[in-house]
Amino acid sequence: MRALCCLIAIFLVSPCFAAEEEAGKDRTSYILNKVDDLWRGESSYAVVTMQVKTEHYTRTMRMEGWSKGKEKTLFRVLEPLREKGTMTLKSDNHIYTYLPKTDRTIRLTSGMMMGSWMGSHLTNDDLVKEARLEEDYEAIISFEGERDGQNIIEFTLTPKPDAPVVWGKLMLSILADGYTPLMEHYYDEDMVLARTFTFTDMKMLGGRDRPAVLRVVPSDKPDEYTEFIYETLELNIPVSDVMFTKSSLKRR
Amino acid sequence: MRILTLASRNVRRNWHRSLVTMLAMAFACLIMIFFASLMEGMIQGSERSVVSMNMGDIQIHAHGYRDDPDLYTQINDADLLVRNLQKQGFRATSRIYGYGLLAARMASSGVHLRGIDLKQEIKVTELHRHLSSGQWLDESDANGVILGKKLAGTLGVELGDELVFVGQSSDGYMANELFRVRGILKSVSDGIDRMGMFMPMQTLRNLLVIPEGAHEIVIIRPDRTTDLTVETARVEAIAEGLEVKNWKQLMPVIARMIETADVQIMIMLVIFYIAVATVVLNAMLMNVFERIHEFGIMKALGVSPWQLVALVFAETFILTLLASIVGLAGGWWVSDYYRIHGIDLSSMADSIAYGGIAFDPLWYAAITTEALVYPVLFLFIVAALAVIYPAVKAAMLRPVKAIYFR
Repeated sequence: MRALCCLIAIFLVSPCFAAEEEAGKDRTSYILNKVDDLWRGESSYAVVTMQVKTEHYTRTMRMEGWSKGKEKTLFRVLEPLREKGTMTLKSDNHIYTYLPKTDRTIRLTSGMMMGSWMGSHLTNDDLVKEARLEEDYEAIISFEGERDGQNIIEFTLTPKPDAPVVWGKLMLSILADGYTPLMEHYYDEDMVLARTFTFTDMKMLGGRDRPAVLRVVPSDKPDEYTEFIYETLELNIPVSDVMFTKSSLKRR
Repeated sequence: MRILTLASRNVRRNWHRSLVTMLAMAFACLIMIFFASLMEGMIQGSERSVVSMNMGDIQIHAHGYRDDPDLYTQINDADLLVRNLQKQGFRATSRIYGYGLLAARMASSGVHLRGIDLKQEIKVTELHRHLSSGQWLDESDANGVILGKKLAGTLGVELGDELVFVGQSSDGYMANELFRVRGILKSVSDGIDRMGMFMPMQTLRNLLVIPEGAHEIVIIRPDRTTDLTVETARVEAIAEGLEVKNWKQLMPVIARMIETADVQIMIMLVIFYIAVATVVLNAMLMNVFERIHEFGIMKALGVSPWQLVALVFAETFILTLLASIVGLAGGWWVSDYYRIHGIDLSSMADSIAYGGIAFDPLWYAAITTEALVYPVLFLFIVAALAVIYPAVKAAMLRPVKAIYFR
């Protein structure tokens, strides 16, 4: 009898659930898009300093980057002198690297995707997958409210069953006010924390307050990190498509 | 009664029959020697494919390197260690390794870089003799590299083609250099075939900024007949605080395969020897039974049964001695020919690989003391056994019966 009641209850309530879920979905993706657009917009130009500290070396690199839409990115190294002019082009799912020392362009194969990008704690795969949160993950809001004295919204992103991802899940927390990202936790397939992204140092960038520093810390080596520090950011500037073709790599 | 004189006269008197018997035995001996050295060659060849090509007998690594081949997990005083090992009579060489991406035109592939000490490596391994085309590495051609067979195929490169390498040097910067294909290896092992790129050690040191240290030291024991376990313990004493493993520990599957092959070969040898024994037995039986009439006459003349048995044995001994000399010379000569030239199996199979190790498609014979001595000994034993029955039978016969024995 009780079971029957429950069933009836569920039956009556479920349409509202569905409706609410729909609204939730919309809100979730709306917010996530907002977060995405923080650095990208339609197109962007940025100057970033990358600092990598590992057990064996510390290095600093300055580079400039352009992006257009979600699939096109181009980086060029400005400093150090030893690597000046090295370029990385991401176009759709391919990564090309132009190497000034030998004046050659090579395409990274799928086997190299888990390799480190420019000696940092990011992989080439991160570069390819960076803007595809929406496509590869199901997002739900898993927490909303006060945490550490801040009003935050926490998303849990789980990969879609057939998505080509190496992570078990992502946890992203953002400030409820202004949708500024604070932390992003990456869990591996065994649901063990693999690395943490933290966003700090709010300052004026591209016409509004944005976190200027992104730090990546691998969980297995807490003393190591890669830090990206934004110096300048311009959004929605005219960028030509030609820039993101392989043939443009050599000409620059 | 001078048995030996009589026996040799008997052998000479009917030289035609003696020659046929002798040739049958000599041929059997030759075949046995040849077969034994082929089998021995098979064992040595498979061991050589594993050990001499690239593995070495014993390898030294820093602890943990084999589980996680990290650029920074190095053997610090590698040069000193190599010198100490050489003082102890070992042949040793150090190597450094690295990983990265190799591209040619639009094809690319992950590679395993192998920097080798050209002066020492030649004394330790036989890689330099295993090129399918091109030349071995040379210090003067710092950017000439040797590629594994499948890697060259993946990249679609031939001798003289340009290669672009990209990787990460030990100081975190990008390592990037142009190389040229100087040589391409034959099939060595799965890892080398698919990813191996060999270069002079200094080139790799400059490329990946590894000023000193090594990742691996490879050792060949001075005498292949010594006990590997004992030699491993000796190396362990010299290389303190490092991981020392011999090839049987590094490749247990292959080691077991070679050990079982040993047993299989022994069984085959025994079966083969038994087959040969029937040939010898037959020849000797005929030789004695043909002459029972003759023995009957000798007995009638007053030769005692024991003298008769001794006589038959002496004749057999002379025959076998001559046959074994001929057989030994012939067998040695045939085996030696195949020791140098080998039997080419490549028409049957391009490369024979087992457990990730490629075996040489040329099958060489190997001459060992055992392969030469055992067949001769065996021949004597079989001949002696073969004549016991007819000799005793002849000795026991009553003269009259023997004379009319048909």
